[in-house]
Amino acid sequence: MSLRKDSSSDRSGRPFERVLIANRGEIALRIIRACRELGIEAIAVHSDADAQAVHARAADRSMRIGPASPGESYLRVEAIIAAAQESRAQAVHPGYGFLSEQPALADACTAAGIVFVGPSRDTLAQLGDKLAARSRATAAGVPVVPGTLEALPVGGAAYEARVKGEADRIGYPVLVKAAAGGGGRGMRRVDDAGQLIEAVEAAAREAAAAFGDGAVYLERYVERARHVEVQLLGDAQGTIVALGERDCSTQRRHQKLVEEAPAPGLSNEQRRTLHQLAIEVARTVGLRNAATAEFLLTPEGDFWFLEVNARLQVEHGVTELVSDVDLVHEQLWLACGRPLSERTLAAAARAATPPRHAIEVRLSAENPARDFAPDPGVISVWRTPSGPGVRVDAGVEEGSVVSPSYDPLLAKLMVVGDDRPTALARLARAMDEFEIGGLQTTLPFHRWLVGRPDFASAEGLSTDYVGRHWRPAELVPRAALRAAELAARAAADGRGAAPPGIPSSGASSGSSSNSAWWRAGIAEATERRP
Amino acid sequence: MNDTERLRVTIAELPLVIQPATTEVAAFAPAGRGELVRELARSADDRAAGRRRLEVVVGGWRFEVTVESALRAELRDRAARSAAAHHSGAHITLRAQIPGRVVRLWVVEGEQVEANQRLLAIEAMKMENEIHAPHSGTITKLYVEPGALVERNDELLTIG
Repeated sequence: MSLRKDSSSDRSGRPFERVLIANRGEIALRIIRACRELGIEAIAVHSDADAQAVHARAADRSMRIGPASPGESYLRVEAIIAAAQESRAQAVHPGYGFLSEQPALADACTAAGIVFVGPSRDTLAQLGDKLAARSRATAAGVPVVPGTLEALPVGGAAYEARVKGEADRIGYPVLVKAAAGGGGRGMRRVDDAGQLIEAVEAAAREAAAAFGDGAVYLERYVERARHVEVQLLGDAQGTIVALGERDCSTQRRHQKLVEEAPAPGLSNEQRRTLHQLAIEVARTVGLRNAATAEFLLTPEGDFWFLEVNARLQVEHGVTELVSDVDLVHEQLWLACGRPLSERTLAAAARAATPPRHAIEVRLSAENPARDFAPDPGVISVWRTPSGPGVRVDAGVEEGSVVSPSYDPLLAKLMVVGDDRPTALARLARAMDEFEIGGLQTTLPFHRWLVGRPDFASAEGLSTDYVGRHWRPAELVPRAALRAAELAARAAADGRGAAPPGIPSSGASSGSSSNSAWWRAGIAEATERRP
Repeated sequence: MNDTERLRVTIAELPLVIQPATTEVAAFAPAGRGELVRELARSADDRAAGRRRLEVVVGGWRFEVTVESALRAELRDRAARSAAAHHSGAHITLRAQIPGRVVRLWVVEGEQVEANQRLLAIEAMKMENEIHAPHSGTITKLYVEPGALVERNDELLTIG
C-alpha cells in the first residue's frame, strides 16, 4: 500500500486503494459511486436493518456494525474503526449526519492510522460548538445573527428569569437552538415569553437525545429572511476557496426542502462579498477539506453568519452541477494531501458569475398534509425520472423498507439548466415522471411549490414561506376525488362489471358516513364503543 | 347486470365517499401523468364482501382506496348501526401512526382534557411529535408510559 503524498495537483492515479464509508442511504451510495469512479475499493457498513440496503449491496464489500438503532451501529465510533481495520481501509468518509462532525471519529481514525476524510479534529471541535463558532466569526469581523453567545443555564438556579431576560433583550420571536445542533434538530421558534421555558426545555431534551449535549442558546428569529450558504473547500497547503452559494430558504421545521445554486437575485458584487465572508470564517478555524458556511440574508440585504457545517452537505449536488466540480472526488484527493485542483481553482475564480442554474428537491418519507410527519413503510413502486439535465441521488429502490430508525430522506431530485426558468421547467417535467408507491412522500409539496408564481419569480424565497402559504387541506380533497375516480375505474375494469349476486338498487344517498379523521399529527382516532 | 349498480369508493382517513353508477365510471379519464393505480392485497373478509383495495397516487398524494358494491356496504352499515344502538358513550382511542418512543406524557388517567390540548409526545425519526386531543373529554385509559416504545397502531390512550 502506498499513499501518494506528493504535493502536485495532478489527478492521475487514485487517492486511496480502499475507503470505508461510515454512512447509509443515498449519501453512502453517492460516495461509493465516487470511489468506483476513482478506482477506489468501496467498503460500506450496515446495521441489521440495512443488510439488504442499496448502499450495502453497491459497495465492494459491506461490514455489519450492529443492530438497527443508530446508537448501536452508525453512531458507534469503535464499530466503524473495527470495520475499517478489518477491511484494511486507508480512509473513512463519514458522509453527513451520524458521526460526520464528531471529533471522536476523527481522533479514533488518527489513532488507528486511518485518514479521516474531512476537516481536522480541532476544526470539527471548534465548529461543532455553534456558540464558539459565533464567537469566532464575531472576532473575525463577520456579522452574526443577534442572540446569546453563551449556553442558557437550563435548570440552574433562577434560570427562568435569566432566560426570559435574554429573550427580552434579543426581542421576540426568538429561536432556541442547540449548541451541538445541525439539520434543524433541537431548534424551536418562540413567539412570546409564555412559551419560552417549555421550548427551551424541549429543545434541550431533543438536543440531548440527538447529540448527547443539551446546551441551547437563543438567536433572533428574522422574519422573511433567506437562508444562503457557501460551499467551501480547503487544502492542507492552506488555500481556501468558495465554490459558489446555494439558496436553501424553503424549509419546514427548520429543515431544508429545496435548495438551488446560485442564490437567485444576488448581484455579482453581493456574491463576492458573501463568498469572502465565508472564507474569513473558514480561515479562523484553518479549514481543510469540505465545509459549508451558512448565513441569513435579511430583507435589508445583510448577510448574518449562522454556522459552519464541517462536512459534505446533503445539497452539495447543486453546486456540483453549476461548478462542474465533483466535490466527493475533490474531498478524497484533498484528504490524501493533494492541493486543490486546477479545475477547482478555476471554478472558484468564476463562482460569482455562475454559468448555469441547478435546483434540488428532497423527497422524504413524510406526509406534507400532516405537518410533514414521518411516514415510514415499504416502497412498492419506484420509477425515477431521467433525460437531459436530471440527476437523482437515491438510496432506495422498489422493495426497500424505510425504517423509522433513520432519517426519512429517500432521494434528491436535481435538475440543471442554462438559467432558472429552464431549470424550473425541467424540474416540473421530472416530477411528472417520478412515480412512487407504498408510502407518502414530499413530492406533492414540491409540485405545488414549483407551480407558485412567487416561487418562479424567487420573491417567495424565505424561511417562513411554507408556514405562511402551505395549505394542504385545500389540495388534498381534489386529489382524493380524482383518486376515487381512478379507483372506481380500475375496479370496474378489473372485474369487468359489478360483482354478481347483488340485487340492483336505485340511486343511493351518497352521503358520507365515514368517521375517519384528517388532521395534522401522527395519531389516528378510531371510534370505539365499550 | 344492471347499469344503475353503484360502487362505493372510500378513501382511508378521509371523509370522502363517492358512489358512481357503473355507467358513469367509464367516463372517468384513465390514469395520466403523475397518476398511479395499484391493486393491494385483500383480506379474506375483503374477498367475502367483494371489496377491492387499491393504492392510488395523484400528483404525489397517496391514498388507500376501497371499492365495493354500494348496496352491500349499506346493508353492512345498517347491521353495524343496529348492533351499536345497544351501547352508548362513544370513546375515542388514539393509536400511534408511526413507531417511536413516548418521550412526554402530559395527562393522567381520569384527567379532563380540552379539545386540542397536548396529550403526549412521540419521538420518531429523531423528531418529537406532539399529539393533541381531537375533542374534549376524560382520559379513561392510558396504555403507555414515558419511555415506552410503540409500534404503528399501538393504542396510546382513550378519551371518553
